[in-house]
Amino acid sequence: MKLKRKKIKPIYIVLFIGLFLISLFMILPFFWMLSNSLKSTKEILLDPKHLIPVNFTISGYVKVLTKSPFFYWLRNSLFITITNTTVILLTSTIVGFVFSKFQFRFKKTLFLLVLATMMVPSHTSMIPGFLLINALGLYNTAGALIIPSFVNAFGIFLSKQACDDIPNELIEAARMEGASNWSIYTRIVIPLIRPTIGALTIFTFLNYWNDYLNPLIMINDIKKMTLPLALSYFSSQHTADLSATMAASALIMLPVIAVFLLFQKQFIKGIATTGMK
Amino acid sequence: MKNKKFVYFVLIPIFLHMLIFIVGPIIAGFAISMMDYNPLRDTNSFVGLANFKQLIGDPVLMKALTNTLMFVGVTVVLNIAFSLMIAQLVSIFKSNKIRAFFRMAFFLPCVAPLVASSVVWARSIYPTATGLANMMLKTIGVNPVNWLGDPNVLMWSIIVFTIWVDIGYNIILFSAGIDGIPTNFYEAAEMDGASAWHKFRFITLPLLGRTMTFVIIMTLISHFQMFAQFSVMVLKSGPQNSGLVLTSYVYKMAFELKNMGYASAIAVLLFAIIFIITLIQQKIQKVDWDY
Repeated sequence: MKLKRKKIKPIYIVLFIGLFLISLFMILPFFWMLSNSLKSTKEILLDPKHLIPVNFTISGYVKVLTKSPFFYWLRNSLFITITNTTVILLTSTIVGFVFSKFQFRFKKTLFLLVLATMMVPSHTSMIPGFLLINALGLYNTAGALIIPSFVNAFGIFLSKQACDDIPNELIEAARMEGASNWSIYTRIVIPLIRPTIGALTIFTFLNYWNDYLNPLIMINDIKKMTLPLALSYFSSQHTADLSATMAASALIMLPVIAVFLLFQKQFIKGIATTGMK
Repeated sequence: MKNKKFVYFVLIPIFLHMLIFIVGPIIAGFAISMMDYNPLRDTNSFVGLANFKQLIGDPVLMKALTNTLMFVGVTVVLNIAFSLMIAQLVSIFKSNKIRAFFRMAFFLPCVAPLVASSVVWARSIYPTATGLANMMLKTIGVNPVNWLGDPNVLMWSIIVFTIWVDIGYNIILFSAGIDGIPTNFYEAAEMDGASAWHKFRFITLPLLGRTMTFVIIMTLISHFQMFAQFSVMVLKSGPQNSGLVLTSYVYKMAFELKNMGYASAIAVLLFAIIFIITLIQQKIQKVDWDY
């Protein structure tokens, strides 16, 4: 037994080093972005090979924060993302509760309809979506990115599955005691499906924070852009200013990465249990 | 009675909203694909299947379709192979701290905004003269590569980027699948003297069937719809349309050329591809994977 252990150990170390090198490769682009964001554009162009900047400078960050409407973009992104996440959490959980714990006509058909909409790629409905927003006079407004997002099929599906795990007896008992449906929803359902709500919050938030396609077709005005659209716009406008482009990229990525590092466990568990993207 | 009211109170606004903003646009998408539709014109005529007939003879569409199939095919195969391998290797470690560290490192690119990662790769890793990729090649004596400008290389550069950006999801999913396999299977195999490869080949792989189907289907569906990296990294469809995929062709046709009828026909083609994959999934899922 002892002999065997001695044999295995070097393999573990080699394996660890191998995986460690691959994970360095995964992190390297972020490190490179940070490093370049702290160099001057001159250094990036003339002497690019240093992993650590030779002359540290925050001029890239200063330029992004003072010469572009960065705080408008941040505010737009925050407003749209927070509104969408809040509304989707509310609609998803309450509809999931209704589909799980109530009997009504066409229940199966309606639920299948919800599921069917998930199958359609966004590029198929994007053109009429754009025409509709235009007709409603919402083009170039935050409403174009909020109003169509109130209902989320995947959120409904996940919430229904979570509600299916709540014993019917519990709901019946509460009803016997005269609880209204609303108070069953807020006092029993919500607390019991909290893990699903957590996962749904993280992914809805990321989904809208990172969304690019919808802002791209719905927003035209620079001050009304969200961060991802603004970054792609900024980088195409400042192709020569690499330092500022990297600083802008870093400013968009860092909040998300910080949130991820804080809620790592929930993230990983959320994906593993829901398969959500 | 009280329950009925509650159900109506919840479902009526929700389904009205879905009808207007989700179901309506989907149906309209199919309708517009049968029209000669330009948003700047007052009247747009119904043309039946003319747009679809045009699809067949459009060399640019053929290019976009073959590019898409090549991109999805290569990326998904490599993604599954790498993520399965890494998930298996990470699961060998018994320490939760080591596992958590690796999973975090591999997952990091998945949370970063895709657009931001695309910008970073396009402007600081792939540039020919100042990019990190060529500098690293230089140290081992390889000539610089024109990552985003050479029509033979462009799609491969995007494939590498996409694998980097997306592999973390599947590593997590495979890890969960591997952790779910009962340990007594492995213990029995060890008693029979099975090697690590045999354990992987004859226990892990077959018992991972359900996860595998799910991962392959989801990865296929999501990769057919990838758009942001093409929009950021590919300049004007790339040389000889080498960087054009179905999603970017739909966008270009609809919003740059304002030919929304034809763009919708391309989008319907994209829908058809994803629909077929979903049907295959439904078929496979009926097979019993239980163990």
